[in-house]
Amino acid sequence: MKKIISMILVGGKGTRLGDITNDKAKPAVSYGGKYRLIDFTLSNLSNSNIDVCGIITQYEPQELINYIGNGSSWDLDYVDGGIRFLTPFLKKDNVLWQKGTGHAVKQFFDFIKNYQAEYVLILPGDHIYKMDYLPMLKEMEKVNSDITIASKKLSEDINRFGIIETDENNFVKSFKEKPNNPTSNLVSMGIYIFKTKVLEELLFTQEDMYDFGNDIIPQALKNNKKILNYEFKSYWRDVGTIESLYNANMDLLNDNNFLELNSSKNLPVFSRSLNLEPHVILNNGDAKNCVIADGCQIDGEINHSVIAYKVIVKKGSSIKDSCILSNVIINENVKLEKTIVNENVILPKNYVSENEKITLITENNLYEVGEINE
Amino acid sequence: MNDLFVIIDATNHGSFSHLTRHRVPGAMPYAAKFRLIDFTLSNCKNSKIFNVAIFPYGNYRSLSDQIGSGSRWDLNRRRDGIFILPPKVISSTFDNEVSFQRMYEHIEYFNRSSQEYAIVTPANLIMNYDYNLLLNDHIDAKVDISAVIAEDNERLKTYIIKKSKLLEFINHYDQIQFRNLTDVFDFSTSLIKQTIKINVPSFLINSAKDLFHANMQLLVKSVRDTVFNDERPIFSKETMSATTRYGKEANIKNSIVASGAIIDGEVINSVIGRKARIEKGAKVVNSVIMNHGLVEEGAFVQYSILDKETKVLKDSQVLGDVDKLFVSEKKQIVTSEKSLSILQVSAEVNPFIKTGGLADVVGANAEEYSKLGNKSQVILPLYPKIKDKYKLLLKHICDKTINFANEDYKAALYSLSNTNTVYYFIETYQFFERDKLYGYEDDGLRFAFFALAVIEFLESLEAYPSIIHIHDWHASLIPLLLKEKGIDIKTLLTIHNIEYQGKFNNDLINVLNLQNSYSFIRPNYINFLETGIHLADKLSTVSETYKDELSYEFYSKNLVEAINRRSRDFYGILNGIDKEINPKNDLEIKMPYDLVNVFKAKDVNKLDLQERLGLTIDKDKFVIGMVTRIVEQKGFDIIIPSMEEVLKNQEIQFVILGTGDEKYLQDIQDLAKKYPDQVSANLTYDATNPNYIYAGADLFLMPSRYEPCGLGQMIALKYGTVPLVRQTGGLNDTVEHFDLSSKRGNGFKFYNFDSRDLVFQIKHAFAIYMESSPDWKQLIINAMNSRFTIRDSAQKYIELYEKIIQNQ
Repeated sequence: MKKIISMILVGGKGTRLGDITNDKAKPAVSYGGKYRLIDFTLSNLSNSNIDVCGIITQYEPQELINYIGNGSSWDLDYVDGGIRFLTPFLKKDNVLWQKGTGHAVKQFFDFIKNYQAEYVLILPGDHIYKMDYLPMLKEMEKVNSDITIASKKLSEDINRFGIIETDENNFVKSFKEKPNNPTSNLVSMGIYIFKTKVLEELLFTQEDMYDFGNDIIPQALKNNKKILNYEFKSYWRDVGTIESLYNANMDLLNDNNFLELNSSKNLPVFSRSLNLEPHVILNNGDAKNCVIADGCQIDGEINHSVIAYKVIVKKGSSIKDSCILSNVIINENVKLEKTIVNENVILPKNYVSENEKITLITENNLYEVGEINE
Repeated sequence: MNDLFVIIDATNHGSFSHLTRHRVPGAMPYAAKFRLIDFTLSNCKNSKIFNVAIFPYGNYRSLSDQIGSGSRWDLNRRRDGIFILPPKVISSTFDNEVSFQRMYEHIEYFNRSSQEYAIVTPANLIMNYDYNLLLNDHIDAKVDISAVIAEDNERLKTYIIKKSKLLEFINHYDQIQFRNLTDVFDFSTSLIKQTIKINVPSFLINSAKDLFHANMQLLVKSVRDTVFNDERPIFSKETMSATTRYGKEANIKNSIVASGAIIDGEVINSVIGRKARIEKGAKVVNSVIMNHGLVEEGAFVQYSILDKETKVLKDSQVLGDVDKLFVSEKKQIVTSEKSLSILQVSAEVNPFIKTGGLADVVGANAEEYSKLGNKSQVILPLYPKIKDKYKLLLKHICDKTINFANEDYKAALYSLSNTNTVYYFIETYQFFERDKLYGYEDDGLRFAFFALAVIEFLESLEAYPSIIHIHDWHASLIPLLLKEKGIDIKTLLTIHNIEYQGKFNNDLINVLNLQNSYSFIRPNYINFLETGIHLADKLSTVSETYKDELSYEFYSKNLVEAINRRSRDFYGILNGIDKEINPKNDLEIKMPYDLVNVFKAKDVNKLDLQERLGLTIDKDKFVIGMVTRIVEQKGFDIIIPSMEEVLKNQEIQFVILGTGDEKYLQDIQDLAKKYPDQVSANLTYDATNPNYIYAGADLFLMPSRYEPCGLGQMIALKYGTVPLVRQTGGLNDTVEHFDLSSKRGNGFKFYNFDSRDLVFQIKHAFAIYMESSPDWKQLIINAMNSRFTIRDSAQKYIELYEKIIQNQ
């Protein structure tokens, strides 16, 4: 018997991240040099003492499964719970591919029932934020609501999200997924706590409940369920596009104390150790206003950039306003400005890609977005 | 598939200065984010070895912290796994290598291990190597034991041996002459042996200097690429920290930086640990900064090892140099040397009055403090001997009437300045107007009065002290009296020899007329030293090893509880020796010398010694010298029987100078009668300079039962006379056992207070002398290159004073 268990919805291919998600699920995307997006959600669970977490995966789950392992890096390895990967399986004669977030949870509802938990926490796995989920649960218990939605006031990009309108008691009065003309600036973070029996009722008494935002929440409103709004007031970013991934990296870079990532107090953020040696700055290297992860060898100039692990930057190269993902090799005299260089890319000598607008460099588009400058 | 199990030897204490106050060497941070033992454990994992035992010494919490369940190295197994096997007999903790006796304490582990071969390897070895290669090499060579050595022939204390063979030694530990595998490898004649030289960089870390060197070597690409490589990663405990961050004003070259570090200043040729911070305008050069170190704005750090959480305050200068690194203690706050006002209190001070080593230390440090820019003052009783000799120089400062034991005493304060150091003398007719310094029935009263008088005269000193440094029991009541009088001055008590404590009966307690009650002052007696131990702000003694030994009852006797209660405030600082002690400037010896002409001069001086003392004159004889008080402490219970044995060899001569207990004097005279051509016994208090013995002998014998610091061995080293000592106290800290493989070491050491072991080492030394002249010459060079200066010692005291004043 658990009071609350959690389900992380890894979901489908994040198409707007281009080649970055070619071979991996979105939560496995590298962030801030040493992190993966999933680190934030897993650390939040750990800091909230929620000890059961089902991770529903479908698209390219292998890298994510390898990365998370048994969850011990986040202290989520428990004898009577811990991390479980829930992947599509054969039922009778057809593979049960998931048709949406709700459908995915429905498929694995046995997992939830198994723990006889009173509440289910539904989480996306690709957001950057630090949150203790227990106060949210506490609020919910106080007013005895059926569902609670975490929300955030935004000033831009609002129509990428579900829009919430509340009544004077802070209960949700309307919920519209990605409307063309938003009527409020309060958006859903995609984080829900359901009373288990309410979730079961919604999923199993109604057909075609595929998606939380499009189907389940509207249906719940229709059924007069009490839905509490829980407004989250700290930093939160949903990394859905190349631009937002870049901007989130720059948020980290420009704030010396970003999310207090260096502190082991106040909701620490854990990540998996890769057993790498610390990075080295060589004699021609220079590092200013940047973050650099383990295992790098820097002999070029780094300015206002985020460098992930095991990146090699050779002599004469200069990197400005960029994010270099892991295992990239940058040969001599390369010039980069405003780029994201995808994992494992090798940039040849004298390669130049200096941009005004943020540009993703991958193995495939190397020569479309830059050139060799002899 | 794997037929190896691994014994990790974590018994070595090494000489790490402050760095081992809070951890054992295996837990020492290295390469910004690792610990030394990570390398050995990762080798196990990468070699697919899953049966590992660790033999730690003393406080191994730091080690078990680091290892946890062993899961990082896949050592949390159902079958086998990792075992920490602590010592069962607590007193035997000063071995530098895991002994067969220690292994026998855990014989079940060995019996239970199913693997056929064992590797014994230290916890403080940095090497990334596949143990299976070593095993294959061992099996192919069809030998009984293989020893692993480094590229430069340094011995890595790593051995491969069949378990069955190892068990033979373990089971018979009390019947064989070998204590450990190194002994077996060096001296066993019945085993087939080989050395395996490994072709990758490796570093055995035994000192702060080794640690520094190994860190700096990582800045060399070829070293870094072998120590860290993708095929055999080094695994370490997982920690939490953000990505390393560089600020706008960062300027970094040729350095290694761990995650969580924040660099906003200048960093060159350095290794920076996790979450360390180098602030704007600060500069760090050629240094190792461990986790959470902080170098504040404008500070400058060079050639330093800053232990975890060290804080270098704004604009401070921390200036070590290549030969003498600055090493901080965990959580130390470092500021530029400010000038301190130091008052030392001692019953004797060189050059004014001296009965033992205490006087030398106080006098030498006093002068050095002044040279280092501090206000240095010393206060002692005015004995008639001093008055006679320095009458004309003494300046009368003031008189005071001091009420003590319900009577009024007249006391006068005199002073004498030597450049910047001021010496004060307290004159009181009733107490100090005597021939001898000590040994009177009323010594308790005399020195209780002395302590009181020191406090009464504080206001009359040229500079009011910020710290009072108290030496031995004679001044040990000062912290108590300060407390009684509500005077807030910090105190350091140095214990030069714990055997002298100043125990007196209850009359004295009444005399003191205490206002408060103290649990350690018993109704029927008071112990001066114990009182000081309880109340001084910090304590020190004259070597690291003696400090460690004093936590055992065997050494500290009745004071063991008092000492252990203060263990976190207890430091070991080695005495230095005077620069003047130097065979180059010694006019008393036949042929003065330095490294350039030492080999020739040694022969000349030996012939002179033999001639002076009437021994067979022959430069090839092996001369063992001793200059010592002839008392039990100096090891005569094992020296006499050993000499009986050793002198059967006519190539050996024995010269001894000193006086002491009748019992031993008689024994020595008997020896001299028995071997008249080989033994010279000079058993009088000989006022002539004993340096011709230091200059002419080959081996200097000092097998003390205990030895807080020891001076003889340091003089011998300066004179290139190879010391043979027991591994105790300052002897252990000054003498490093000569290693035939790497040619490092400046003497010989043995551990057991046992004549068999002593004879064994003398014969070993003799064999090297006779059969391996280049090695012996190297030993002489190593000895003469040993460095124990008064400046090093004084600087350590000053650091400690600063710590006390800052209340750290």
